[in-house]
Amino acid sequence: MPDTVGTDFRHRDAERRVLGTLEFVLDHKVEGMVHAKAVRSPLPHARVVAVHTEDALAMPGVIAVLTGQDLTANPDIDPCFGKPRADQPVLAIDKVRYAGDPVAIVVAETEHQAWEALPYVDVEYDELPYVVDAVQAARPGAPVVHDDRPDNNVATWRLRHGDCDSAMAKADRVYSDTYYSPPASHVPMEPMVCVAQWSEGQLEVWTSAQAPHAVRQGLEKVFGLPAGHARVHTLNVGGGYGAKGQVKIEPMVGFASLAVGRPVRMELSRDEVFQTIGKHATTVELTTGVMNDGTFVARRMHVNYNAGAYAVTSVVGAGQGLTRANGPYAIPNVAIDTVATYTNTVPCGPFRGAMTSQLAFAYESQIDDIARDLQMDPLALRRKNLLRETDVYPTGETLHDLHYDELLDDLAAAIDWTAPPAPAEPGRARGKGLGIIIKNTLTPSRSEAVVRLEADGTLRIFSSSVEMGQGANPTLAQIAADRLGVPVDRVALGFPDTAVTPFDTTTSSSRTTFSMGAAISSAAEDLQARLTALADELHGLGGMQLNHDDGQVTPAGRPEVRIAWTDLLEKAGLTELEGHGVFQTDYGITLMDPLDVKGPVSVHWHQGAAAAEVEVDLETGKVDVLRMHASCYAGRVVSPLRVEQQNQGCAVFGLGPTLFEELHYQDGTLSNPNLSDYMIPSIVDVPATITSTALESDDPQAELHGVGEMALPAVSPAVSNAIFAATGARITTLPLTPERVLQAIEEASTARGRTELGAQR
Amino acid sequence: MSVQRFVEPQTVADAWRDLAEDPWGAKVIAGGTAVVLMMRQRLLAPSSLVSIRGIPALRGIATADGVVRIGATTTLSEVASSPEVRRHAPSVARACALVGNPRVRNAATLGGNLAEADYASDPPAALAAVGARCTIVGPDGQRTVPVAELITGFYETVLAPAELVESIELPAPAGERREVYLKYRSRSSEDRACVGVAARIDLDRGRVADADVVVGAVASTLQRAPEALAELRGRRLDAEAAGSVARAYAAAIEPMHDGRGSASYRRKMIQVFVRRALLQITDEAGGEDA
Repeated sequence: MPDTVGTDFRHRDAERRVLGTLEFVLDHKVEGMVHAKAVRSPLPHARVVAVHTEDALAMPGVIAVLTGQDLTANPDIDPCFGKPRADQPVLAIDKVRYAGDPVAIVVAETEHQAWEALPYVDVEYDELPYVVDAVQAARPGAPVVHDDRPDNNVATWRLRHGDCDSAMAKADRVYSDTYYSPPASHVPMEPMVCVAQWSEGQLEVWTSAQAPHAVRQGLEKVFGLPAGHARVHTLNVGGGYGAKGQVKIEPMVGFASLAVGRPVRMELSRDEVFQTIGKHATTVELTTGVMNDGTFVARRMHVNYNAGAYAVTSVVGAGQGLTRANGPYAIPNVAIDTVATYTNTVPCGPFRGAMTSQLAFAYESQIDDIARDLQMDPLALRRKNLLRETDVYPTGETLHDLHYDELLDDLAAAIDWTAPPAPAEPGRARGKGLGIIIKNTLTPSRSEAVVRLEADGTLRIFSSSVEMGQGANPTLAQIAADRLGVPVDRVALGFPDTAVTPFDTTTSSSRTTFSMGAAISSAAEDLQARLTALADELHGLGGMQLNHDDGQVTPAGRPEVRIAWTDLLEKAGLTELEGHGVFQTDYGITLMDPLDVKGPVSVHWHQGAAAAEVEVDLETGKVDVLRMHASCYAGRVVSPLRVEQQNQGCAVFGLGPTLFEELHYQDGTLSNPNLSDYMIPSIVDVPATITSTALESDDPQAELHGVGEMALPAVSPAVSNAIFAATGARITTLPLTPERVLQAIEEASTARGRTELGAQR
Repeated sequence: MSVQRFVEPQTVADAWRDLAEDPWGAKVIAGGTAVVLMMRQRLLAPSSLVSIRGIPALRGIATADGVVRIGATTTLSEVASSPEVRRHAPSVARACALVGNPRVRNAATLGGNLAEADYASDPPAALAAVGARCTIVGPDGQRTVPVAELITGFYETVLAPAELVESIELPAPAGERREVYLKYRSRSSEDRACVGVAARIDLDRGRVADADVVVGAVASTLQRAPEALAELRGRRLDAEAAGSVARAYAAAIEPMHDGRGSASYRRKMIQVFVRRALLQITDEAGGEDA
């Protein structure tokens, strides 16, 4: 049996995906279902004085109009959700906190009837002062988003290592810069969509979500249900990128279904998707102390994540950012503070490369400025300061399995680093840039799996990992087949169903291949151990070592004896046999004092890199990305093709927020919540050349590393550094629009002019 | 209020009669790429929709007496790939080929594009620069309006409630003609223009007999600077003349601000792309995309 891991086992539904015939959650229908639409606040911050529902109730097909009052009238309902901070009401209770906050639900026989009735729900508001910018919101006297948080602080995290102040004072040179990344949107192709129905006090939902068990727990808490009384199915999810982590619209739909006593479906329109979850706008203040030879001696950072109106994942997210902000450099003296701040904007959550892209844009941009100032090669300056095996990270933990030297070698080779770019036409300039990043994975977390041998020989995997196009299912099937020693065709894998598939924390943070892979491997070993015991018992092979191969048991040294697993089942009178596996980490930042983070924060460290070559139109500032390279450390590669596709995906997905993606607020309201005004890269924007590398360990037992977002945070700085190399223009605000590039080119040329003038004197 | 009535007339006269029945509530729909989006965003709430897609007389491209006549419901893809249009007015074909993406171009129609009057769309500027005219029909009969005068503001035209665009005519060039349309996108490749420049010169023995430069996407209506164009007349179009017209355009136009660029950036880009457009037809390089 050849090893399955390391080969390209194709997505079983690849053809159906391409043909457009694959069914997603969006296609799921339930007999007798009715439809719900949310009435959303047009104002960023206001008291809800009254909600008049009569006119809407009189509209054709309308069954019910539900408000915050209906919610609070039900004593069984806990009206707010969110973990760890339950600050988000299912429907606005006393006030709305952002434009887009749901105020009422209209339930009607058809989706169109519900949509038609929306404007007839008359909401009286009393406007309150609002705040959009997180730095302003953190200042005293700013409008207060949540009364119990008068400083608008969602979370504060602190990391101290060495003595930053004194090291900074002794540094030969100190560089201090502020970087800003704007709010952005994930834009999954499938919107959030959910069908909910109640039966005998139990709630069943089908939802486009990345964390079915987290949704189950969230629903159980809102509706006061015992564990297991909410049941969550996810089916094929049409893209997530972090937008569908945690609980989203499910409580609204569950509430509507409870109220009308029928199955209810809600599908968000595109503008509602924009209004439901976004990427944190982030201000990063970064100061680095450097010796004249390029050695980094001190780093001070203050990071303010704009959480939006509700905490969602920002409490822990700001802590994750804390552990990633240092970058992949050995810096002996570090002081990092991260905060998340409430504002009257769309709530924010993880965005592929969660919390990290904003940080990497800062530290990987500044390092190129430092290199230029020291007249050093940017790659050489990185190499001088790289984190290496057994270095101590600012968290105090000793790091292992680091591969940054190889990643830099790989970038240099891929982009011909030492060769100057090919000459550009007059009026245009070319340059190359690179970036490297470090990222922890969600720790602590837990994945459970069951592998079941069935009478016909099928090996069925029960896992709550969500297939959302990334290829989790074929990858996990390969891991199972590899560990069981059977052809992958014998492995079956369905969709998460929390009544059937065991607990998993979430399908995010690039953790599935590693964590669920480990749980499935352990379940496979458990199954084999049970089969070994059966063979022993039924065939009297006591004392002999038994090997498993191709679904058969063979005693060592007696290859002529082959007992099929299915025969063992039959002989034992069993119709099936299960192996159980768990992978769990029980340490990490959520168990630490946020103001004194110390100790290991990640089960292993994700290492990613990117390089870009760009051509800049010096008259317009428009940037053409000629080629990109995306690279990561994968430990061992399960599927070379899917790793390459993930790296390519990082390059393309990353170019959006790098070059043009940005949410605009006007009078506190999102002004571009549609795909005409909010741009994502089209196929024509994809660089002509995207190359990919996945570094592997020499160790055949090396840990699998997730690769879904490794290269992504390196994309923005790689492109920005390439622009800097081409033009001398440094841009500290994303996206790198032609207008910003042109302005920076003009400023750089003015500055050069001044320097030259000074030199002449 | 939802759409109460959806009609599919088979003749142009039936179409304007259907419109006249509900002059304030009816909307014409053809490709649907604009109307449906606006309805979904509640920017439009028509009480009746008059679909003109099935009217045979409104579709197709024909040439008579040197004039190319494009029926209003001809799709942008059909215009872009028409040998007649490409020969007769290559900048118009090019502009139609640059709208949105293939899915949009296969559904959107040229008449609908003009009637929508999106300030940032490509075809209007190109059509205006080559002197295209629009035939409009309605209860008061037929009239002809130059495309340059059709759009009067953001999503506003000279069309009366019961009128519709019947066809677009491209007049025959008097002599040797060079033309180009440049679309400058500041964001993704599927974006509307930040600046769109259509330039056309008619030459008489190497000298400019007539010229037009029309800038779209920078204001609510198409923008021209006729006095700058007048200076071209009788001259050879060279780099210096191109630069001079470009400077005059940048000075004359009051550009707007939107997500694609600030007013001051647009002013700079007007200068860059008017100059580049004119240089392209100086060199006879043909209409390359920016």
